[in-house]
Amino acid sequence: MGKPRVGIYGLTSCAGDQLAILNCEDELIELASALDIRSWVMAQSKNDETSELEIAFVEGVIGTERDLETLQAVRDRAKVLIGIGTCAVWGGVAAMKNNLPRERMRELVYGEKAEHIDIRKALPLKAAVDVDYELPGCPVEKDQFLTLVGSLLHGDLPEFPQTPVCSECKMNENECLLVHRGEVCCGALTMAGCGARCPSLNIPCAGCHGPVEEAYYDANFRALQAHNLSKDDIIQKMGIFSSPAWMPKVLVTDDLPGKGGDYAETH
Amino acid sequence: MPKHIDQAIDIPHLGRVEGHGGIHVEISGGEISKVDMAIYEGSRYYEVLVVGKHFTEVPPIVSRVCAICSADHTLASQMAVEDAMGIKISPRTRLLRGLLLHGSMVESHALHVFALALPDLLGYPSLLAMVNDYPEEATIGLKLKKLGNTMQEMIGGRAIHPVNAVVGGFGKAPSKHELEHLAREIRTGLDNVLKLTDLIANLDLPDYSDESNIYAALRTREDRYSYIGKEIHTSTGERKPVRQFREICHERVVSHSTAKQSLYSDRPFMTGSLARVDINGYLLEGKAREVQERLLPDLPSSNDLHNNVAQFIEIVHSLERALYLVNQLIDSPQAEEEPVRETLRSGAGVGALEAPRGTLYHYYEIDEQGIVTGADIITPTAQNLANIEKDFRTAVTRQLNGDPAKLEHQLEVIARAYDPCISCAVHLVDVTFKE
Repeated sequence: MGKPRVGIYGLTSCAGDQLAILNCEDELIELASALDIRSWVMAQSKNDETSELEIAFVEGVIGTERDLETLQAVRDRAKVLIGIGTCAVWGGVAAMKNNLPRERMRELVYGEKAEHIDIRKALPLKAAVDVDYELPGCPVEKDQFLTLVGSLLHGDLPEFPQTPVCSECKMNENECLLVHRGEVCCGALTMAGCGARCPSLNIPCAGCHGPVEEAYYDANFRALQAHNLSKDDIIQKMGIFSSPAWMPKVLVTDDLPGKGGDYAETH
Repeated sequence: MPKHIDQAIDIPHLGRVEGHGGIHVEISGGEISKVDMAIYEGSRYYEVLVVGKHFTEVPPIVSRVCAICSADHTLASQMAVEDAMGIKISPRTRLLRGLLLHGSMVESHALHVFALALPDLLGYPSLLAMVNDYPEEATIGLKLKKLGNTMQEMIGGRAIHPVNAVVGGFGKAPSKHELEHLAREIRTGLDNVLKLTDLIANLDLPDYSDESNIYAALRTREDRYSYIGKEIHTSTGERKPVRQFREICHERVVSHSTAKQSLYSDRPFMTGSLARVDINGYLLEGKAREVQERLLPDLPSSNDLHNNVAQFIEIVHSLERALYLVNQLIDSPQAEEEPVRETLRSGAGVGALEAPRGTLYHYYEIDEQGIVTGADIITPTAQNLANIEKDFRTAVTRQLNGDPAKLEHQLEVIARAYDPCISCAVHLVDVTFKE
């Protein structure tokens, strides 16, 4: 098999996931020789936007009409479309206040003469297209990204443990910030993969990888509520990075988050 | 009636810059009718996002304005919050923050000089295409970038979006052993970067600019080259305390951009490496001074492409200064410190620092409960956009009858020389909720 044709795209975002790839300094040259990188606007100036792609990596949220068009065009061209980073997977910080009227936000920031500014809500990729694989992280973890590319080169996809940050925190033998120090730590609700980076530095988890699918939400909410937090406070806290996973369904129906929420409602 | 356009240049998506921007030029009747640095990065409304949040949650949110300068947004927002709340940080926190800032500068400048700008100047489409012909230079460039990341990882806990730096201090300080390891790496990095001085000295840099650039940069109270300062200095001789940053940056909304533009006294100005070296360059010391005297002996420079050279000089300065800070940290007491959370007041505060692309301002209003009620962020790229357009105009005027393909390339080179950070520029500005 020849080198797979690859495109790396950034929608509205901080470009952190693309930078995480550029930060694979030791592997970058090898990476570039294993892949046929057809398009990567952030890193190269000659880009091919017509040929079919075996793999497309997309970071960011759908924040503008242009983002949507780019995403749909990439979806049409790519055999495998992979969302990289918490924005692509859960909306990230840009989706934090999707419940506020966008026109109002625009007026507050740009004033009245700002018709040219798009007022589309910030949404994760799966709100608009089929996504074949998702790698959350804000930004994605370098090691996980390289493992993903390694698997793809073998025609496979990796299976990372679907466990909360707590599992990694325990492996690091950290003292629990929530139970022992009374700090509001989101580790129990958050997808692992970071090696419990923050709690290992005495910093509570902020939930930047988005929700873990199979958490024991009832018990974990109760543990957090014991620290004078309402359910809404907890959702607001987790919602900094993954609001569309928690809103509005959780608030309205008390359902717990999981993949494939009704994004039409938040749109 | 639509006017007749004789010639149009349309670069829909500028490559090798961070974010989504393009260049549009129209010439009709022998005159320029349009020169736009168009920005279509989506708006994320950061100033609205932070309103209603506790002050401790602000830095991790605004860090996401931009990955490349995430350490700078983190630090500037922390400084602003601490200014608003009267939080006093420890001497060790000051040293660690300095080190984080230098790490960010080294990483960002190495990325720009070697991966984004150098291919332009040597005639390649990307760094990866350059590797065969310039293996040593490409390798050193990547190693320097990695060193900047190592510094950010060690101090900030993560290379992108630092988690260890919080309001009031740090979660955990690096151990003496780690710092000693870092000192060795910085020494190697310094040796390596100096090997590339010849390459930079031999670059044939064209000059597309005019003579009238206005520069702005922070100046520290102590007389040394620093990225943190209490005063804004301009090349026109103006001096303002950072609290009065709005008197230097007058913002306006333009219809071809989702980023606002800044003007100073109705004129475009430039911020960033070249502005700093022009305004504060006489304060450079050590190897950085030697390199500046060799590469940019005639200051001030009006050639914007010298921004890449100034970035190279700053890599040397940052490594030398980082080594000094690491040694200070090794010699200082190692006892664990908790982040300071003691607040003296509520109110408004400003944090300003020199980010890789120029002066970055963060401003927050915080109430008695520690909740943010208003915010304003002005990023370097937003300040530079009007100046980039000014330079486009000069380049186009000089080549009205020239080869369009050549002109198009020139415009791209000019834009990239500024190292524009488009995510930053479109982060959105100036919201105050008074309820």
